[in-house]
Amino acid sequence: MTASGDLAMQTLDQSATQYKGQFILVIEGAVPTGANGNYCVIGEVDGTHLTMEQAVLKYGPMAKYVVAAGTCASFGGVSAAGTNATGCLTASSILSGKTVNPVVNLPGCPIHPTVLIQTLLDLILIGMPSLDRSNRPSNYFGTKIHSMCPRKGTTVVKQLGQYGCYKNVGCKGPGTQNVCPSMKWNNGQAWCIGVNYPCIGCANPDFPANPLCKV
Amino acid sequence: MSTIVLDPITRLEGHLKVSVTLDANNIVTAAQATGNLYRDFENMLIGRGPKDAAFLTQRICGVCPVSHAIDSAKATEQAAGFTPSLQNLLLRNLIQGANFISSNVLHFYQLALMDYVQGPQMHPWTPGYTQDFRFNATDSQALINNYVAALSIRRQAHEMGAIFGGKLPHVGNVVPGGVTAIPSATDITNFRNYLNTITSFIQTTYATDVNKLASTYSDYYTVGKGYGNLISFGVFDTNTSGNKLYPAGTVTNGTIGSFTQTNIKEYVGHSWYSSPSGSNPASETTTPSFGKAGAYTWLKAPRYNGAAYEAGSIARTWLTGEYRRDVSVMDRHLARFTETNNIAVNMQTWLNQVVVGQNQFTNLGTPASGSGIGLTEAPRGALGHWLSVASSKITKYQIVTPTCWNASPMDDAGIVGPMEKALIGTHVENTSQPVELLRIVHSFDPCTGCSVHVMSPEGMEMSNFVVQPQGV
Repeated sequence: MTASGDLAMQTLDQSATQYKGQFILVIEGAVPTGANGNYCVIGEVDGTHLTMEQAVLKYGPMAKYVVAAGTCASFGGVSAAGTNATGCLTASSILSGKTVNPVVNLPGCPIHPTVLIQTLLDLILIGMPSLDRSNRPSNYFGTKIHSMCPRKGTTVVKQLGQYGCYKNVGCKGPGTQNVCPSMKWNNGQAWCIGVNYPCIGCANPDFPANPLCKV
Repeated sequence: MSTIVLDPITRLEGHLKVSVTLDANNIVTAAQATGNLYRDFENMLIGRGPKDAAFLTQRICGVCPVSHAIDSAKATEQAAGFTPSLQNLLLRNLIQGANFISSNVLHFYQLALMDYVQGPQMHPWTPGYTQDFRFNATDSQALINNYVAALSIRRQAHEMGAIFGGKLPHVGNVVPGGVTAIPSATDITNFRNYLNTITSFIQTTYATDVNKLASTYSDYYTVGKGYGNLISFGVFDTNTSGNKLYPAGTVTNGTIGSFTQTNIKEYVGHSWYSSPSGSNPASETTTPSFGKAGAYTWLKAPRYNGAAYEAGSIARTWLTGEYRRDVSVMDRHLARFTETNNIAVNMQTWLNQVVVGQNQFTNLGTPASGSGIGLTEAPRGALGHWLSVASSKITKYQIVTPTCWNASPMDDAGIVGPMEKALIGTHVENTSQPVELLRIVHSFDPCTGCSVHVMSPEGMEMSNFVVQPQGV
């Protein structure tokens, strides 16, 4: 938004209050809860900090829908990697039992923009889309990348950098659900496997796995 | 004496707070810049294979991920004693160049311009400050029209970069050993078409608008200088011997000098860390400690030979000589435009050198042990990754970002950071609308992390508006 400081914080609060029960809260990033939530402070009003944790707990229950945009907000992702030193929680876990509707998880690193915008439009125009067991819209996350991959059936390569199928060099395509082979990225220009590198499973609940691609 | 706190400063990447003290004449006498997000990247990488770092460090920032991938790849390559071939360097240049152009255009139009132009009268352009808008209605409308056009251009710059990088943000194939894309003739034609469109925008629209801003707000050539010391780690290799379009270097009290990374030390006296202060990144550690006495930020204070240096377009263009007017709010905008044009022009040259159908990637093994440093420039400035490996796993990873240089806090010697210095001495006309402070902060193009977004129903219209039909 254009406003900064107190004006921005007031706008946030007024919007949520005025449209209570009608707005969509989109959360990007996992929610750090360590150090009293002070690993992420989104602003302050009259000298009082508002941590991301407090903001999510305040505005999540006021929203009609909450959308976790990206793998961090959906499943923890890079934010919660390693020892999860900052005590990150997913949007759905911190808001468990507190929201009007289930938190919609849109994993991906980053979230695919068409998936995000289309989900928001669906929520506004139609209502809650059909969600799978991980609360992801089945429409976008119902198919494994491998099953739609144009490289399926091509030569299975033994090392990186060659054209072919990457399932023997650690490709996560067989175990990852996302829209990449059909929608591709950046207005259909390209996608990860298309530029000759295996999928690293960025939309998976266990992203980032260690190692990303196990050969 | 009074205080102004801006928390958050919006229209930048991440979480930045600025707090200033004013004297009785409303002149800033003290300033503190606070980074309000900590994610523990450096520690999270420990125990992982070095190749993974080229993917994971990109997630530090969605606006400059390519520079992180390149630094990470270079650090591992150095540890392995490997230099990629020219074809790999050209592809990295083209992907990174696309990222630079996208970021710089986004910065001028979407992040900075709203400090000077009245936006459309709807959320999220309202509410906002209404202080000191000088453009007439015709010029304002033209600038807003170009703001919209810029959204398309920066999207196209990312589409262009994705041709070779797979996707933006967070490219899929910039790793130790090179770039795995095998360019086709179609790829090159496609890339060139985008580059031509984007270059035309830079040379006509962006050129007109940045000059219009500079002439209408020419007093901002004397606002927000900071120290004037500049630093660059160098970027865009033009051969395999280390020659760069923008060479590394420093500018100290107006004198151009060399750059040696061993002269970098990071201090945490006023930062939320209990790890030792005053180390070079090669031997540094990071232990968070929120609430430490005297500390006010998650940013460490990088210093070069003990002094605070500013990174960014102004540093790069000063060292090449393409921009040497002075350092100020307006100089930063002009320098950023100047390099955006220069990068676009040089991308044509690099594109012409790309060989069709060539697989130039080397499947590099993971070094069992050793250390390496990857240095490059992100759009916002000097970026470095320091890596140590043992038993084929990362044992140490330290990153110094450009915003760490620019939005640095006070160091252990009491020296404030460049942005803080730039704020000091500024006269604020209207303390309830301190637009001068926003203009200074935004001129640095700061970047820090992830955030919570709230969209009101009016915001939804904005989303529909941005989702243009395919091909626009």
